[in-house]
Amino acid sequence: MTAPIEVQEPAVEDLTVTDKPWIVIVWNDPVNLMNYVVYVFQKLFGYSRKKATRLMRQVHEEGKAVVSDGPIEKCEADVARLHAHGLWATMEHPS
Amino acid sequence: MPRWKRFRAGPGDTLVVSLTEEELALLRSLPDQMRVVFDGDNDDPARARLFPRAYLDPTAESEESEWQALVHPSLLRERLDALELITATLARASVNGDWWQIGLTPDEVQAWLGVLNDTRLVLGTQLGVTEEERVLDPADPEAGAYAMYQWLTWLQGDLVEALL
Repeated sequence: MTAPIEVQEPAVEDLTVTDKPWIVIVWNDPVNLMNYVVYVFQKLFGYSRKKATRLMRQVHEEGKAVVSDGPIEKCEADVARLHAHGLWATMEHPS
Repeated sequence: MPRWKRFRAGPGDTLVVSLTEEELALLRSLPDQMRVVFDGDNDDPARARLFPRAYLDPTAESEESEWQALVHPSLLRERLDALELITATLARASVNGDWWQIGLTPDEVQAWLGVLNDTRLVLGTQLGVTEEERVLDPADPEAGAYAMYQWLTWLQGDLVEALL
């Protein structure tokens, strides 16, 4: 992503997965704008500005972030919406 | 280019975009350029960037094929519809002082956002952009495309700011 503004952020807690749902991952890329990624996370998932910003920063700084999880059908639909918005998203089943 | 907010709140839930004549002409040239990419080869990296894999796992080839068969036609249709919508809005630009202005409904704003982002993804892939800003010699054969990319980046950033 482009145009980073350095801001101190609290550490992000690990996502705990109990019943092994599928997960949707968004990967960092050099083109998508940081504010656009925040906007897309808010629009598609209804996340707060704060949560959407935290996920965007995680993508930017760590290279990827889990942005949603659930049954395979839900994750397939989430990936399709993310692709429609130009984000680089994949899904996998943690083993 | 003047440092002027290009997207501002208009009546109701509309946004008004203000453009110079040159910018309007540039935007009008985008849909045809994008259609060439959409109609092009699946192996084109720029096209592939717009329609990536869903399953990273190379052993999930059958799931990937099923998903692509299900989703790809509608993702392509959405993108073509957005090109038609942005073309229609650009056709109704009217002069107001030094600016060409267009009032955009929320659906039209989404089409603008999608086309600006898709075009940046295509140009960014073709130019091999990284997170580092490039300084190009004006004589560089990629200078024009890179200037276009940077201008679209600025315009899209302004649009997102108006929406957040």
